[in-house]
Amino acid sequence: MTDDRHIPQEELALHAMQALSGEESAAVRLHLAGCAECREQLAEIAGDLALVAMSVEQQAVPEGTRQRFVDRITAKPAGLPAPAEQPARTPVISIAREKKAPRSWMWVPWTAVAALLILSTVLGVKIFQMNQQLDSEDALLRQEERLIQRQNGENIRAQALLDVLTAPTAQRVTLTTGKNPPAPSARAVYLPSRGALVMQASNMQPLPPNKTYELWVIPASGAPIPAGLFRPDASGSGSIVLPSIPQGVQAKAFGITIENAGGSNTPTLPIVLSGTAPVGGE
Amino acid sequence: MTDSPENPSGSTGTYGRPPYSDPSRFSAAQDELLLQRVRAREQKAMTDLFERYGSMVYSVALRVLKDPGHAEDVMQDVFFNLWENPRSFVSSRGSLGAWLLVVARNRAIDALRRRKPSDPVDEVVLPAKTNLASDVERNTIMEKVRLVMNGLPPDQQKSLQLAFFEGLSHSEIAAQTGDPLGTVKTRIRTALISVRKAIQA
Repeated sequence: MTDDRHIPQEELALHAMQALSGEESAAVRLHLAGCAECREQLAEIAGDLALVAMSVEQQAVPEGTRQRFVDRITAKPAGLPAPAEQPARTPVISIAREKKAPRSWMWVPWTAVAALLILSTVLGVKIFQMNQQLDSEDALLRQEERLIQRQNGENIRAQALLDVLTAPTAQRVTLTTGKNPPAPSARAVYLPSRGALVMQASNMQPLPPNKTYELWVIPASGAPIPAGLFRPDASGSGSIVLPSIPQGVQAKAFGITIENAGGSNTPTLPIVLSGTAPVGGE
Repeated sequence: MTDSPENPSGSTGTYGRPPYSDPSRFSAAQDELLLQRVRAREQKAMTDLFERYGSMVYSVALRVLKDPGHAEDVMQDVFFNLWENPRSFVSSRGSLGAWLLVVARNRAIDALRRRKPSDPVDEVVLPAKTNLASDVERNTIMEKVRLVMNGLPPDQQKSLQLAFFEGLSHSEIAAQTGDPLGTVKTRIRTALISVRKAIQA
């Protein structure tokens, strides 16, 4: 469910209502973290649920509810600082008002009055221009704010994905058909254009302290590229998430070898696990 | 305090900007402006949002919890959390009213089932051209949704009600109705599709 197929809408609807089991929800969350298409679907299903929420009989809120809310937000002002854009408008207005009503205007000679009129006209134009500039800056700020919020959302999801994949406390289960103990296996997911690789290994044999497993990207041509080290935990599970490897390398296969602690630049035979990459991948 | 009259000019600080010709668009834009002011820690803007959506949020919490005191607690928490963390709602996509409803339902279910808080709600996107910020349109939607919900086949209606308002898992629903899990899933999804189609019609 996490890589090669999308979440069925039935399950997304149940997930949105927290009607899936813990394990099912975890799998959906994992997929959602990396799938914008399913997140879009989930947002639309959440919209459907909002409509369902609107089917309820509308009730008047209990007396005093509003005041209790006002008291609550007044009692504990939140700590976030005010954006700079808001106070900027107030001085502009107050300056304009002061210019309109000088206290001693009756005593000012007409030439001075004319000068003041010209000055106030110039100021008026300036204020208009400043307001227009503020408006466009406001719009720009809002646009940037939205981009940052979206980016933050993506970062949170990416972090959630990394947490699930790398948490030592995460449960890792291999599902098999028979009752025989499962054999060592590993699953690599690779996006060559970004040099992004995630590998999860299961049921690996324990290693002596001075040894480590090493993952290799075997390109269509050229030498194998080291793609990270791992030692399995007590249950035989291990993972490598986003190792530092070059971008744009088309992989022919992936392999895992046992190397001395610290790793190697060339694989030491035998290759304990290997898999051929399907054609394609961007 | 059901739906307060909207306040097109007094509270938004939109002087110098052209008025919107489409009233529903104006209301949606007003949500965004109110949110901007909430982000600027303006209490009046927060109480305006509270008045606009309070009744709707309270009603769904009451439907789930069936207790006015608990429902008000949920309602207060939903709005207070928005006040404390206004960026929890991403306004670039989705509807604030719809988002508040889904958050309120989830919190009410959490309280009902005494379980740990649900995942945060990211985005809630209503069918195109649906606008909960407009009182008139909101009432029309409510009528349409009630109509289609009442017209659903009883099995679909029951599965959706148990999942959405009672917070039962699909396996609990299957156990209660005696239906296979797959049937429960399909019924819920089909019911939601019917609701969406009715609104888009």
